[in-house]
Amino acid sequence: MRRALAFSLVLGVAYASRALGGDPVPLRGTGLALGLALIAAALVGGFFERFGLPRISGYLLFGLACGPYLGDIITRSMARQLQLVNGLAIALIAFVAGLELNFARLRPRLRAMAEMGGVALGLLYCGLFAACWLAWPWLPVAPEATGLARVVLAALLATVAASFSPTVTIAVIAESRARGPLSELVLTIVVLADLVLILFFTLVMQALRWALGQAPAGDVSLFVRLSWEIAGSLAFGAILGAAFALYLRYVGRELTVVLLGLCAALSAVGAQLHFEPLLAALAAGLVVENVAPPRGDALKEAVEQGALPVLVVFFVAVGTSLRLDAIGVIGVTACLLALVRAALLREGTRLGARAARLDPALGELSWMGLVAQAGVTLGLAALVAEEFPEWGVPLQTLVVLLNTLHVLAGPALFRLALARAGEVGRMDEGPAEREAPAAV
Amino acid sequence: MSPTDEQHREAGVDLLDARVPAAETLPPLARLTRPFRTRAALGLQAAPAPALVFVPAGFVLGPRALGALSDEALAFLDIAVSVALAALGIFIGLALDVRHRADRRLLAAASAEALVTLGVVAGAMLFLVGRWRLPLDVPPLIAVLTLGVCAAASAASAGHDQSDPVKPLATRIADLDDVLPILVGAYVLGLLRAADPAAAATLALATAATGAAVGAAGWLLFEDARGAPERGVFVLGAVVLLGGSAAYTGQSALFAGMAAGLLWRLAPGGADRIVREDLRRIQHPLVVLLLLVAGASLVPSRVALWLLAPIALFRLVGKLLGGWAASRLAPGKAAPADLGAYLIPPGVIGIGFALAFHQFHPSPTGTAILTATALASLVGELLAVAALAELRRS
Repeated sequence: MRRALAFSLVLGVAYASRALGGDPVPLRGTGLALGLALIAAALVGGFFERFGLPRISGYLLFGLACGPYLGDIITRSMARQLQLVNGLAIALIAFVAGLELNFARLRPRLRAMAEMGGVALGLLYCGLFAACWLAWPWLPVAPEATGLARVVLAALLATVAASFSPTVTIAVIAESRARGPLSELVLTIVVLADLVLILFFTLVMQALRWALGQAPAGDVSLFVRLSWEIAGSLAFGAILGAAFALYLRYVGRELTVVLLGLCAALSAVGAQLHFEPLLAALAAGLVVENVAPPRGDALKEAVEQGALPVLVVFFVAVGTSLRLDAIGVIGVTACLLALVRAALLREGTRLGARAARLDPALGELSWMGLVAQAGVTLGLAALVAEEFPEWGVPLQTLVVLLNTLHVLAGPALFRLALARAGEVGRMDEGPAEREAPAAV
Repeated sequence: MSPTDEQHREAGVDLLDARVPAAETLPPLARLTRPFRTRAALGLQAAPAPALVFVPAGFVLGPRALGALSDEALAFLDIAVSVALAALGIFIGLALDVRHRADRRLLAAASAEALVTLGVVAGAMLFLVGRWRLPLDVPPLIAVLTLGVCAAASAASAGHDQSDPVKPLATRIADLDDVLPILVGAYVLGLLRAADPAAAATLALATAATGAAVGAAGWLLFEDARGAPERGVFVLGAVVLLGGSAAYTGQSALFAGMAAGLLWRLAPGGADRIVREDLRRIQHPLVVLLLLVAGASLVPSRVALWLLAPIALFRLVGKLLGGWAASRLAPGKAAPADLGAYLIPPGVIGIGFALAFHQFHPSPTGTAILTATALASLVGELLAVAALAELRRS
């Protein structure tokens, strides 16, 4: 009751401000949108949690309901301003992902995980490519393309559609306080697979330029750029991670502020130097966790303090950007593609678990953790639309709608899988309790 | 627990701070040097006169010097400024307790002191602006009221000097003398949007209503939160919403924050304690940001220079007269001159209000008011050092 009343008050303040504010200067709406997002979305997230659903779904639905395509309390310009936090959020989420990947703990299962991930990703990619190539004349993206162009275009759509969401995966694990074989397996697959898919995307884009006659044969600039982006990102992140580990060990004060500063640097400075913030932040987290692991709970507390507001705003921003208006145009195509992807994921993880001789229960449940898509997918689609506006924009619309379906269903499915595996809440247990086997 | 103990509990002993004696045993010049110490200079710890460091630093970093804080960056920081102002308003609201007779007398004394200063500065500037025929692009009454509001606040909160009985009273009056300028300031910002006085008053009331609504939402939520992270989100969200809604509607974030802070102070439960604890972590960084932005927004101009000297002079006169008025009304006995001297340091509220005025009216006059107010604050800090040194000697 208290929460419902507070929710109404906050919405009332937002409505009244919108009515009083008229047409304010650009950027003036940022604070209103941020404040509304922080309180109201956190309340909706808490409401979802009461029914066993992930809080993230609540944040997303709140963004969708209040965003420019439905309630319009958060206008289009406010929604754009909310995206300012995206870089920081992605860096923070990837940093937390790095902190969760302890190679010493994973080593005994790393090979099996890579094997299973390879089979699942391979089947997913090949299946999506075949489906896209066969259905190309009926897809609303350059249906006239034939021959090599059709092959490369299908490969491009398959690459973008196959991608996963480390952000959603990590956020669901963090908020469910989950720990166990399923969390570790899904996180490892998602992170490694996204790394592979980003590489693959860059190669397919170059192949596309060749196929469409927009790049000279033998162009090596791509490989130089790719090396700079990947190796440079990893080195940049590792250096900042090492500096943070030293700070943590020898100073260790004001950790929340310093952690957010680190993520801002990884995101902003990294972007200036054309590094991939996701990779850089992941490398920073890996260095902190694996080279100089923190003692005590200071870092954990700092992450908890700093991460929640950033995550809430990030997922509300994602929610406001979901394109409901596109459903009428290409809704059926997107739904079919989503069904094909889900079926391929399910079969792929089942086969992968069998090939890697992993617990069959892991194979049954892990596909549910791989459904979600978010920032990376949207980013790749935006790159295509920017370079090839003629057919790239319809492709982006299709991908955005696909992303909408996956980002709404993904967190709920993953949370359900974690609950079935008995891993929810195990992050808070002591080492002795953690030794007890989970349900899978 | 002294403030120093509290800071150490929060963040541990600073190696450099440990070598320097506590503020109250330092000579008055320490007011000038203390802000340069490591944690204070990083904005992580309170310093007696932060404007002395961060306003010049902001100017050096700003678009008219190094350009590290470009005009674009300053536009993005607008929201942080509104949030900082809302946070300051909350602290003022939390300090505003009128449940006991002695507290009401203190508030009356502080408001009388602020009113005298506001009246002296605004009256003198109204005369001078007309006399000098300064080119202003807002109605002269709005301009001089703004200058009066900016001059009326004070900050006498450095250390807990037990040797002088006037000091605790001066500190309490300095905490409370921001209330009246904030109320007048909200009305001035209302006048800026709606020329009609009644409409301006309605807008100011709407700001108070917004503050109270967010305050009520916060009061319902803070104690109901599931764990510290969620509570942190609610507190942060409330402060950002207060600042954000004020920025969106062109109203006073200080007033909205004060209304919410007052509600939390008066409402049953521990909302005031929760907010004070959670906001303390971001209070100093926000103040530093506000001063840096103010410094970066300074534009030396003929009008600003013409305004500077009379503001500094009439503020000093106003504070001494106001000290006399306050000493008549305040409980206990305090020498009027001593009280006035303790109230000379200007603090950050005046600069904050000038910055808010500049946000909503980024014209040459808005810039000149901000520049003159910020520079007059620096002069006020230096005058305070001289006055307090004299007071110690006597």
